[in-house]
Amino acid sequence: MNKNERKKTQQHNPTLAIVLSILFAGLGQSYNRRFIKGTILIIVEAAFLITMYDFINIGLWGIVTLGTIPRVDHSIILLIQGIIAVLVLAFAIGLYIFNIIDAKRDAEKLRDGEKIPTLMDSMKNTYDKGFPYMLVIPGLFMLVFVVILPLLFMVSLAFTDYNLYNSPPRNLLNWVGFENFTKLLESGIWKDTFFSVFTWTIVWTVVATTLQIALGLLLALLVNDKRIKFKRTIRTVLILPWAVPAFVSILIFSALFNSEFGAINRDILGPIGLAVPWMSDPFWAKMALILIQTWLGFPFVFALFTGVLQSIPGDMYEAADIDGASRFQKFKNITFPFVLFATAPLLIMQYAGNFNNFNIIYLFNEGGPAVRGQNAGGTDILISWVYKLTFDTNNYNMAAAITIIMGVIVSAFAFYQFRKTASFKEEGNL
Amino acid sequence: MKKLSLIFFALLLIGLLAACGPQRSEEGTNNENDANTADDSANTADSGNEEGAMPDKPEKLTVWMNDQESQLNAIEATAKQYTEETGIEIEIKGMAMLDMVEKLDLDGPSGNGPDIFYQPHDRIGDLVVRGLADPINLGDAADQYTDTAINAVTYDEEIWGVPNVVETYALYYNKDIVGDEAPATMEDINAIMSEYTNKSNDEYGFLAEANNFYYMYPYFAGNGGYVFANENGVYDPQDIGLANEGSVKGAELIQSWFNDGYLPKEITADIQNGLFKDGKVATIINGPWMMKEYEEALGDSLGAAPLPLLDNGENPKSFVGVKTYMLSYYSENKEWATDFMKYLTNSEQAMNYFKTAGEMPARKDALDDPAIADDQLVSAFAEQATYGEPMPSIPQMQQVWDPMNAALQFIAKGDNVEDVLTEAVGTIKDNIAASGQ
Repeated sequence: MNKNERKKTQQHNPTLAIVLSILFAGLGQSYNRRFIKGTILIIVEAAFLITMYDFINIGLWGIVTLGTIPRVDHSIILLIQGIIAVLVLAFAIGLYIFNIIDAKRDAEKLRDGEKIPTLMDSMKNTYDKGFPYMLVIPGLFMLVFVVILPLLFMVSLAFTDYNLYNSPPRNLLNWVGFENFTKLLESGIWKDTFFSVFTWTIVWTVVATTLQIALGLLLALLVNDKRIKFKRTIRTVLILPWAVPAFVSILIFSALFNSEFGAINRDILGPIGLAVPWMSDPFWAKMALILIQTWLGFPFVFALFTGVLQSIPGDMYEAADIDGASRFQKFKNITFPFVLFATAPLLIMQYAGNFNNFNIIYLFNEGGPAVRGQNAGGTDILISWVYKLTFDTNNYNMAAAITIIMGVIVSAFAFYQFRKTASFKEEGNL
Repeated sequence: MKKLSLIFFALLLIGLLAACGPQRSEEGTNNENDANTADDSANTADSGNEEGAMPDKPEKLTVWMNDQESQLNAIEATAKQYTEETGIEIEIKGMAMLDMVEKLDLDGPSGNGPDIFYQPHDRIGDLVVRGLADPINLGDAADQYTDTAINAVTYDEEIWGVPNVVETYALYYNKDIVGDEAPATMEDINAIMSEYTNKSNDEYGFLAEANNFYYMYPYFAGNGGYVFANENGVYDPQDIGLANEGSVKGAELIQSWFNDGYLPKEITADIQNGLFKDGKVATIINGPWMMKEYEEALGDSLGAAPLPLLDNGENPKSFVGVKTYMLSYYSENKEWATDFMKYLTNSEQAMNYFKTAGEMPARKDALDDPAIADDQLVSAFAEQATYGEPMPSIPQMQQVWDPMNAALQFIAKGDNVEDVLTEAVGTIKDNIAASGQ
């Protein structure tokens, strides 16, 4: 009898199970005589088709055509619906593939005469193994709609012709491929402006951030020196710039730097016969911005380094003293690597943060002063330029294209941080 | 086997997508399309018999109004009277004017939009291009509004708004310094500038935001410059007159104020208002929105006058802004909405609005009303508004501000005026081309 049953199951055909489950989810499982699982899957697919068919259908059609009749079809709404449809569809296809693999695996087991776990068994199994996943899934699901959906929406805009004269509901959008990007790199007015803004953005990021880190490190070292007294008071004072909301400080700085009415030219530089055009000359405006950012940014770095410095074991320095190391050698070989090792990810994020530091650029001088023959102001960085393009001149498609370029750069920072930084490697083995 | 099943799966998926996508959508659009054409024909039928009988009264009209308290109070009082007279309920929602456009874009198509919303007239072109507004049939009532106001709300030969408020800037002066007599010509201003300006003491004879094209336009236009050529209410965005002879002359006048050291280069609104309120400035160009603040600081010493005459005897043509009620494209009660808009701006309600909200009505008869004519400050702005030009309402205007403000910075620095203006006009044209038109 045992032999008989074995023979019977050997005729069970995994390919048939695969084909059946491709035809309709759950058929393969039913063929495998897993009727409860099969029924559940059939119900799930039927429910999905009945409830979502219309939505996905319109969504896919919408994302491809972006509407065909102005006034009736709202391209933006169709685009969003289309992206949601694609996301839902991707999720459904994932489940579907899982269903096929599951049918195949069960059929093979059945053919080989292995015992197939019952539904209860497999549920218990999933619960044991997959519990962390269950906790993560609601969060992931939210993430898809809160982060990925808007991101995809923005990316899609860069490939449309969405601008002031072509905006819904009266007009329909069209897909234009990479036209916006080529325009950015080729047509005169965009190209010149883009490159000059881009180079200044890089200079700004590197110089301002490096200065604020250097100043923070220097002050942290000084305050941490054993000979310094009133450490706590000095630390409190040095952290103060951080305590005032940045936009308030920036607005006040902008008043201070006004070359005719500001205190810096009047009361500090005036008496020694200097008058620097801080706001009206691009070079000096850039200098002023870097100085302000250094002032605004060093307290965070200072606090960070102070914490790390206190955790360096003292015996390292004692050993160095015994070996006769000089002060500089101790700094170079003990303090600096130790501090950098612990804080590198945060420092890299400082660079990424300054790359997109809209507040200071816009509040100080609105990206000005103007520069002749250029579409952006003399101190505009990419993000403030994008802001002007979107809100002053309604060039949504170009703004989205530039935003993508910025996104790529910032994610390169982030990627580098998570992949290469030693401190993360040690912990998570990434 | 595996390959075969993969191919099969792929075919199935493609079939699924290809088969149902277009087919279903065609149905969908056809249905919607039918509904839409029905809607449209209903609309045209409605507008056809506008002069005749009005359609049935709606239960209520929704109005989006600027969210300033005094303005909301004013319109609410009017709405109450209207409800008493007609039985139509009015729902008023306060909202910042700039936010309205974005909200209307989404709420309108979904049926949650207002019947009437409130906008500065220079956004009309933008709204028409987006298709959010509908033209308004004012009928005979159009004659009651000032010509400037009607010009302002006309776009492509149709009227898109019911003008509520007219706004422009003029000259404030400090009577303690200038005397009771307002400076009437640029020569007077020059005399005041040379006599009273003392930079080291922060004392100025004349201040204006000379790096802001909005305030400097009168000197371009008064000499023969223009932004876009305007023929019978239609602007030509290709014909820009900001580098012509008159514009150069006007810009040279502005530059001379800097060359002579009368105007500071880095003037901001905060700084100039602060100085004027401290009584250190003799004359200043600003709008009626500063009146209350100035009055509190200077009291009876504050005077206002139209902008002083140019050397060629012309009145400087200031930019006039008209705040206007507009009709939503998605409104289902367009006739009654229009009726309510006319009611809001009839002569009685317009004066009520002026008394509560303090803004100049856009009506001809308002100028003669004693409440305005006898008020020395208000009447100065009312008079200047009659000399002014409405800001161009075509969307291309958005590309003008930045290059012109930049040009004014270069002019203040002393660059060659003609070069700077030619360059700015080139940039404006490039930007207009690059922005997709």
